[in-house]
Amino acid sequence: MVRVLWTGSLSFGLVNVPVQLVSAARDLDYHFHQLHEKDKVPIEQRRFCSKEDTEVTWEEVAHSYDLDGKQVLITDEELDSVQPRKTRTIEIESFVGLAQIDPIYFDHPYFLIPAGDSEGTHRAYRLLVETMGAQDRVAVGRFVMRTKEYLVAVRAREGALALTTMLFGDEVRPTKHVPTGGKKPTKKQLDNAVAIVEELSTEWGPSDYEDCYRERLKRVIDAKRKRRTIHAPKPEKEPEPMPDLMAALEETLENLRGGEPARA
Amino acid sequence: MVNVPIKLYSATESKTVHFHEVHAKDGARIEHRRICPKEDKEVPYKEIVKGYEVKSDQYVVLEKDEIKAAAGDRGKVIHLGEFVSADEIDPVFYEKTYYVGSRDDEDAFRLLHEALRKTGRAGIGRFSFHDREYLVALRAGDDVLVLHTLRFHDEVVTGDELEIDGGARKPSKREIEMAGRLVESLTDDFKPEAYQDEYRDAVLDLIKRKAKGEEVDLVAQEEPEHGDDLAAALEASLAGGRR
Repeated sequence: MVRVLWTGSLSFGLVNVPVQLVSAARDLDYHFHQLHEKDKVPIEQRRFCSKEDTEVTWEEVAHSYDLDGKQVLITDEELDSVQPRKTRTIEIESFVGLAQIDPIYFDHPYFLIPAGDSEGTHRAYRLLVETMGAQDRVAVGRFVMRTKEYLVAVRAREGALALTTMLFGDEVRPTKHVPTGGKKPTKKQLDNAVAIVEELSTEWGPSDYEDCYRERLKRVIDAKRKRRTIHAPKPEKEPEPMPDLMAALEETLENLRGGEPARA
Repeated sequence: MVNVPIKLYSATESKTVHFHEVHAKDGARIEHRRICPKEDKEVPYKEIVKGYEVKSDQYVVLEKDEIKAAAGDRGKVIHLGEFVSADEIDPVFYEKTYYVGSRDDEDAFRLLHEALRKTGRAGIGRFSFHDREYLVALRAGDDVLVLHTLRFHDEVVTGDELEIDGGARKPSKREIEMAGRLVESLTDDFKPEAYQDEYRDAVLDLIKRKAKGEEVDLVAQEEPEHGDDLAAALEASLAGGRR
């Protein structure tokens, strides 16, 4: 069963739909513990006062911000006091087309599910799913979860309302400092490159891809359990620079069309 | 084989206000120390190994080299195996974003960018980064190439898993029509710069007031009311127009 992370309501004009937030991504990574090599005991992280050199409990910890070299102490109560009032509401501010949002802004994916069994809640939820799905629109709004305000995008996905937290405008870096450059390609070069891309084109099928890293890590763990020795492979060499771009394009295209296995 | 020398740049940075932990009593910094609970002693970093818990309190210890072995042998190469229509990839798969810039052979970079832009396609490939392998999508941005690390299909929760009870009465035609009009009336262009992180601003303002020694008000929060009559709420929203 999915774990509820937040309960509140989605507010849309004067319509309030009680909802619960659940994650739409699950963590399947292998996680490691830090162990003391000597005795294989898990390490504990403990807090110490750097001045007194004594252990400190969580209750004795305060939070401080470095404001131009000046240390400012902030209590949890003070932090709470600046939380926006609308803390149990996802307030939709506007609707935009999905294609307008550069996916670079999307952060963590969640689902919103209707909260409670009320007929009215379920109907309102369904109304939003159908309306937004039919118009391919995304609702942009805000809400507060724990101690942070999030900008969010809400849209219909697989018969449910999907919510994605978004980055704020100033959290996406400008591209000015990233070198690009290069000569405008000739028509022939571009035609060839486009032809290669089209030759290698396929439908997006997420289940075609397995997490090989996770798989290999599992094998390493299994082998280690059986006390086998594992050797790190040598990294693959970086390919040699291409002396002639056009020749490389043509050769790749020829291989692709001749049915030979090629990597672009 | 066509190869394009590239360089990776981070595309995002969190601006969340971060605090240091201090000892409330004397304001001194808190240090996190690694302690071996058996010996009750601090442990230097070089005596620490990584262990995977296979049973409660039973660990398989992995050496750095062994974890490297799992990262794969791809070296510093992104192999694009195939291309898909960039807008077919549901954004739920996108994890972290990087910018990709040119290196050495700028002409090849420009050609790849033009080809991806012209076709609207994203290259799908794998590459190793920081000792782990990622599935990535590479697409054309305005001038740079944009690389997204991708979640794997089994890491993404599907709508079917939610078991949303579909028992409710279908929304009426009138409700659908009104909701559609309400969405239309609130439709706008997406302007990322129009959204300020107001909570971040409020926290920074609080810090500044505290620094000046001002008293801080501690206020309570309110709950919204739930409207029971959907049609009436839609109607009132439409009548009121924008908030």
